[in-house]
Parts: sequence; C-alpha cells; structure tokens
Amino acid sequence: MNDYIFLTKMLIEIGILWFVYYGILLFARGTRGVYVLRGIILITLIFIITKQLGFDRINWIFTKIFALSILAFLIIFQQEIRRGLANIGQRRWSRFFLKESEIINEITTACFLLSKRKTGALIAIERETRLENYIESGIEIDAKVNSELLITIFTPNTPLHDGGIVVAGERVAASGCLFPLTQNPKVSTTLGTRHRAALGLSEETDAIVVVVSEETGGVSVAIGGRLTHDLDRESLERVLSNLYRPDKKNRK
Amino acid sequence: MNSWMINNFWIKIVSLILAIITWFYVNEELVKEKRMAKQLYKSSVVSQSQSPSYGKKPVK
Repeated sequence: MNDYIFLTKMLIEIGILWFVYYGILLFARGTRGVYVLRGIILITLIFIITKQLGFDRINWIFTKIFALSILAFLIIFQQEIRRGLANIGQRRWSRFFLKESEIINEITTACFLLSKRKTGALIAIERETRLENYIESGIEIDAKVNSELLITIFTPNTPLHDGGIVVAGERVAASGCLFPLTQNPKVSTTLGTRHRAALGLSEETDAIVVVVSEETGGVSVAIGGRLTHDLDRESLERVLSNLYRPDKKNRK
Repeated sequence: MNSWMINNFWIKIVSLILAIITWFYVNEELVKEKRMAKQLYKSSVVSQSQSPSYGKKPVK
C-alpha cells in the first residue's frame, strides 16, 4: 500500500516538474533566452554528474559557476521573467474555444485579395511558441481578425504596412513587427526580404508564416524553415486548417 | 491525442528527462538529509546519556 502511494506521489511530482520544464522551454524557444537556458541545463547536468561520481573539486567549481549563472540569468532576463510570470495569470484560455475556421477564412480572403492587387503581406500565426518578442517589436493592435483589417494594414504608404503582423489566438496582436531574416546559406538569393523574414521566423519558432509577394502576387507559406510557393486558395486553407488546429485528425 | 504527442515532441522528451533527473536528485538529497538528521538525533541522545548528570534529579 505504502509503495503504491509512494509511486503515485512520484508520478504526480514528476508530472508537475515536467509541466514546469515544458512551460519554461516553450516560453524560451524562439527567444535569446534559449541559449542561456541551454547553458544552465548543461552546467546543472555536469554539476549533478560530478556530484554523483564524487569529483569534489570539479563539483566545487561547478557549484560556484551554477550559483553565478542563476544570478546572471535573473539579471539578464528580468524582463522576460516578469513577462512570463504575468502571462501565467493572463493566459488566454479562450484559445481552446476558438473558431479557427473563421480566422483561417479571414486570413485566406485577405491574402488572395492582396495577391490580386500585388500588395505585399507578411502574416505570422502564433501556435505553441509565444511570439511576444516579435509583438513587442511592432505596434500593438489587439483587434479581432478580419480580412478588411488585414487588407487595410498592408495597404502601401500607410504607417502600419511595413513589417509583418502577428495573429495570436483570435486577435491581430500587432503590426509592423520585425521578424529575423533567415541565415540559411542554401536559401535562393532571388528571395526578397519579406520571404527571408518569413523563413527566419519559421526557423526560430513553430509559427505559420504566410507571405504575399509584392512582385508576383504569389502566396507562400513558411513552416519549420521550409517555404512552399504559389499556393492557391484551397491549398492555403488546407495548410492552415491542418496546422492551425493541432488536434485535427487529418494532420500530416 | 496523437498530434498532441507529436507537437513539440523533443521539447516534451527533454522536459521529461529533466523532470525525472530533478526528481531523483532531490529525492536522494532528501533521503540524505533525513539520514543525517537521524544520526544527529542518535548522537545527541547518546552524548546526553553519557553525561554525568544524566538520570539524576535536578538539585533544587
């Protein structure tokens, strides 16, 4: 009986720890914090291994480094930590009840209207990795996603048309956001900045990035560092509905 | 359910490994602490029983 209780407690505790680690890793992914986090995890692992093996001097050195790195982490990432803690309280639980198909329809409509007019557009759709860093680089909008709004944002010679927009949940979170350009040397040199930014963001996060070319009017999608060119309306809708709803059965 | 598993699969695996390592590490530390506390308690009881005033009534 006691063994059973101990095992249950152990599983629950490991579950709680897993949840915390998973949240931290997801939050850090796509931010500069991920490199520091990797370093801290590595130091921690070495610290534990050296302690287990009884290498006291090495363990002493790593204990000091570990203490310092925690302090450095708190100082360097105080903003991110503050934001992360605030997010716990403000988590958008409404995301579970979204009408994805409506949002997808609005985005697709906007993209193909912009494509017809040969107006460039860059739309990042947030999935599990938070795009807060990129949202902060732009101008906050926080409006419901609709095609008219998207078209208005990307209309040339308007203050918000430069950069990309971020769709988080059912809201257009911000426009004029700066996305990282891809550093992949294999990427064709003929690709413009907009497509490079789409690739760059999709490499660093799990976001779906839709691009409308200003030159050709072609609609492309960047996911996981891969760009799919010249999609038609149905293909775009299919891609978005497959990837924007992770629980959908026909996910490939 | 299946897609939930696939989504961010490696982050989930890394988190699980870290969680298991942390649990076992902390568990071991707690066991050591308890053992040490027991030893301290035993040694304090022994030293008390060996002291000359042990078992004698306090002088009023």
